[in-house]
Amino acid sequence: MAVSFPGGDLADRLAGYLDGLNNRHGLEEGVVEGNVVRVVVAPESVPQVLATAREQLKVLHLSFITVVDWEGSFELTYELMDLRGGTVRVKTVIEGTEPVIGSVTNVYPTANWHEREAYDMFGVAFRGHPDLRRTYMWQDHFDHHPLLKSFDISTKRTFEGLR
Amino acid sequence: MLSEERRNETVALDGTASGRLARPDIRSEFGLETMDMNMGPQHPAMHGLLRLILELDGETVMRCDPVMGYLHRSQEKIAENRMYPAVVPMTDRLDYFANIHNEHGYVLAVEDVLDAEIPPRAEYIRVLMSELMRLASHIPSIGFLMLELGAFTPILYAFRERERIQNFLEAITGARMMFHYFRIGGVKADLPPGILEEISEYLDGLEGRFQTDTVDLVTGSEIYVARTKDVGKMTPEQALDMGVTGPPLRGTGVDFDIRRDYPYSVYPELDFDVVTDDAGDVAASYRVRIGEVWQSIRIIRQVIEKMPEGPVMADLGRRLRPREGDGFGRVESPRGEFAVHVVSDGSDSAYRVHYRDPSFCNMQLLQEVVPGHYLPDIMPILGMIDPVSGGWDK
Repeated sequence: MAVSFPGGDLADRLAGYLDGLNNRHGLEEGVVEGNVVRVVVAPESVPQVLATAREQLKVLHLSFITVVDWEGSFELTYELMDLRGGTVRVKTVIEGTEPVIGSVTNVYPTANWHEREAYDMFGVAFRGHPDLRRTYMWQDHFDHHPLLKSFDISTKRTFEGLR
Repeated sequence: MLSEERRNETVALDGTASGRLARPDIRSEFGLETMDMNMGPQHPAMHGLLRLILELDGETVMRCDPVMGYLHRSQEKIAENRMYPAVVPMTDRLDYFANIHNEHGYVLAVEDVLDAEIPPRAEYIRVLMSELMRLASHIPSIGFLMLELGAFTPILYAFRERERIQNFLEAITGARMMFHYFRIGGVKADLPPGILEEISEYLDGLEGRFQTDTVDLVTGSEIYVARTKDVGKMTPEQALDMGVTGPPLRGTGVDFDIRRDYPYSVYPELDFDVVTDDAGDVAASYRVRIGEVWQSIRIIRQVIEKMPEGPVMADLGRRLRPREGDGFGRVESPRGEFAVHVVSDGSDSAYRVHYRDPSFCNMQLLQEVVPGHYLPDIMPILGMIDPVSGGWDK
């Protein structure tokens, strides 16, 4: 099999991930909690941090990207898995109501649809994304991002420019 | 009639037998045109409401662009507006062919943020239900694959087995499809008396019937082999890049199973193998599913043997108010990695719930794998992913 998996003791490996990220990037916070390496980074360094995780530390799997709308700021969680029990959880906070962040599709190609979903639901603009379209909502004439807290569930959906 | 030279150029392959033109520029040189075609959302062979925008060069697919959202029910928004226990029945509606796994992922995430302890009997019942559900999902998914290839018999045998398993699930939970059996802190009710013996008896019969009616019937069939071998072929690196999990990933030889590598519930106490295959095509994922059926039977037998006595529900109080923070739940659903991320702000309902559904993530491989295949090969490739509409659309 061509893909090589990390071996050895899980605790050592997690400490290695944290060191590897710490040495190359300025982490705002970095701790090992159980089987998870939790790091908080600035939004502009997310693509570099994930590139380090993938290329140097060989954390191969991006599980999902969660966006949380904290009304005034957006928190993004990138869940990375090394497929052998270890998890690297990269968090970042984007201030403001019009979030922009660099895309990680060239690091983890699977981020393509996760970022499309985040754009669709929250309006997060991913700089450098090859194909930033909506996944679930209508492609045309629909101006809302439904998972924003400002989108009330009783909102009547409007299609701008239609009729 | 094409000249010899021109024909050679037109069918020149890029070396991978993919059918993709080696020199796209000859298209304009010879005035060749491609055709755009919509497949679905209403298509008799499509897995639910999926629309594929295809660019065809003759019968070869040049581009495949899945369009989703026809069954979007804003599950995540609904989950933000309901109290924690009231979200469990909604998760049943996500991947409606593996409801138990959705419930399991969600309750694990909430229990994570609640720091709850679950009684051992409840954990064993959860594993029992998960593996029964896996059987009830894997066996028909093999049948669906054959149905898409034009064979009608395997699906009938598969649904006969699913029906029997659903009878057990109904006896345990009280519902046939939308179970709402898992609760935050345990399960709804204890097992009815005598059900374990009945399941054990049923498994004895299932082993023989599955071997003769599905494995022997399908595996050697010439048409099946011709339609699935080397179709949808991908390398392990490609599969990992595309975020594929579950049987399609294990079919490429990547030895990854949440049950073993990110253990939850009582899986560490149980003995089972992770089935892999090296071919990386549709036939490989089929063989992985066959192997997982045998492993599920093995797990259920161990669970029946080890089932402890005791309560099935932890006392977490009437009103669930978790601490502020994140909760994560991750389970191996029949389709791959199902993960739930719950963000709590300390109130009665979640501030944010995010579902990572394997159908959604695995479907990305359509964009990468389908180009170069013939149009009729799309159906076996979809059968390999076995996506469920409720899953990818949330």
